[in-house]
Amino acid sequence: MSQVTVTARPATAEAPLPRESRIRGPLSRGVVYAILILYSLLVFVPFAWTISTSFKTLPESLALTFIPQNPTVNAYITAWTQLKPVLPVMFLNSFIIAILATATNVFFGALGGYAFARLRFPGREALFLLVLGTLMIPDQLRLVPVYQILVNLQLITPGPENYFGIWLILAISATSLFIMRQFFLTIPFDLEESARIDGAGFFTAFWRILFPLSRPALATVAILTFQGTWNGFFWPLVIMQVQSHWTLPLGLTQFRFQYSTNWPPLMAMTAIATIPIVLLYLFFQRYFVGGLSSGAVKG
Amino acid sequence: MALAIFKGRGSLGTERAQEAFAGYAFIAIPLVLFLIFNIGSLFYSAYISLWRWGILGPTAFVGIHNYQVILKDEVFHTAIKNSIYYTVLVVPIQVALGLALAVTVNQIWRGRTFFRASFYFPSIASSAAITVLFIYIMSADGLFNHLLQQIGINPLTFHNQGDWLGHQDTAMNSVLGLNAWTTSGTMMLFYLGQLQSIPTEVYEAARVDGAGPWTAFWRITFPLLRPAHYLVLTTSVIGALQMFDQAFIVGSPDGNPNYSLMTMVLYLYNATFRQFQFGYASSVGIVLFVIIFTATLIQRRFFGTADWAAAR
Repeated sequence: MSQVTVTARPATAEAPLPRESRIRGPLSRGVVYAILILYSLLVFVPFAWTISTSFKTLPESLALTFIPQNPTVNAYITAWTQLKPVLPVMFLNSFIIAILATATNVFFGALGGYAFARLRFPGREALFLLVLGTLMIPDQLRLVPVYQILVNLQLITPGPENYFGIWLILAISATSLFIMRQFFLTIPFDLEESARIDGAGFFTAFWRILFPLSRPALATVAILTFQGTWNGFFWPLVIMQVQSHWTLPLGLTQFRFQYSTNWPPLMAMTAIATIPIVLLYLFFQRYFVGGLSSGAVKG
Repeated sequence: MALAIFKGRGSLGTERAQEAFAGYAFIAIPLVLFLIFNIGSLFYSAYISLWRWGILGPTAFVGIHNYQVILKDEVFHTAIKNSIYYTVLVVPIQVALGLALAVTVNQIWRGRTFFRASFYFPSIASSAAITVLFIYIMSADGLFNHLLQQIGINPLTFHNQGDWLGHQDTAMNSVLGLNAWTTSGTMMLFYLGQLQSIPTEVYEAARVDGAGPWTAFWRITFPLLRPAHYLVLTTSVIGALQMFDQAFIVGSPDGNPNYSLMTMVLYLYNATFRQFQFGYASSVGIVLFVIIFTATLIQRRFFGTADWAAAR
């Protein structure tokens, strides 16, 4: 029986298959699309509801209307002016931290990744394993020691050095180093040798030749770091305790406790906090997807 | 000129030494940060846990006393119970959902990119934004109850009276549903990567042998996804045991209502920033680390060590 089917195989295998029939599943195409569309509704309706509510009045925010009856931007004005600190300050705080963390993750990720991939020095593999090993240490275990160290360094303060404190914690992640190292391993090694023969030092060879070449990997690191820091909750909560240093997620949480049921401003703030990530996602979707699989070492 | 030649073609010994020096210099800053804030923290935490240690520093060496207190504390028992309950339920749900989404998306060509991007979107929005939105939707006058009424169900007849997050019997399950929804997109992407590496000839062969689509799924697809299973399970379990943001935002640091959202990490947060018992909090952190580490080892035992390279 199986003999017969095996001999019969080449005929079907050689016939070029139409693209659509290559992947088969247990469900018919109509059912598949129905499921997909239903699930996308489950994804989109909550976000659409946020936008809709942010243009509603308070009484209407408790009713089932998708299009606001009396559209108003009052919620945005409230969110923009009435909060403490005001929304632009929180936006700026989130932005400062995200930019600082992104800059150092890109630079040190690339420089360190280059060293781990292409320079020979004693203990290289052991040190790289050590770096990867840090991913096994949960952030929560680090809560007390990190806080205590930052207190000792006088970085938990109402002053600007507080930003430096959180920057130290977010400055470089093992994931960034890993992504960059994997990328530099794929580039032919004789590339910077010629530069070296021309008398360039190791840093010049890295900075002039390899760094410009690594744009896709740099973009992945940059986008993942920016998104992660922008959304970050735990470390800002622990380190940025002064109200004027709050980031958007912290402010949003505090106002949820204070405003409890004043939904339109809360939804306006939710929308504003999410928009930068939506834009990033729309324009750089492939880096999100690609970065996820390279960052998969986590855990 | 002569100098340049000397610099470029120096003896092998100096060249090697220069390369090693550059190597150490280039990793120096990240390495120092890791040594202090990651590896150093681990040891520092273990050290602090042996002291009575308040906001002004250590006051008395107490040995393993903090650990003994933890084992007797009832709130900590609740926290462990909650975290384990949450993990045991959310992991299979989000993994199954992620797998189902991946297999379904993988069957189509038209619109595949769109659906993949949509399903992943909740995973990249901030936990604070998503959680506040969720609180709004699940509130007594919220969208969820409105939709229930539309299909003829009156939420007031439930014993939580439609207050999903305010009642101790439904708060944790609601958060569980929220996180299964947000995380399944990530799980889907892990599975999609692996699904695309399965050669289609395998399915052709199975079809010729008379295997139906369900048989093909359980006998071919599911076992061949093994590296992805491992990755998805470990990341899910670690993430679930560390659940914090949603519990904090929904239930405040108290884990309201009635400790039903008190997770292990929330307990740790409270010990640190509400009671300022750093020594005690450190020992909670160590216990948490041991639990997570054990869970990872157990999974490795059951699912083997799929190296991370295989998942890409």
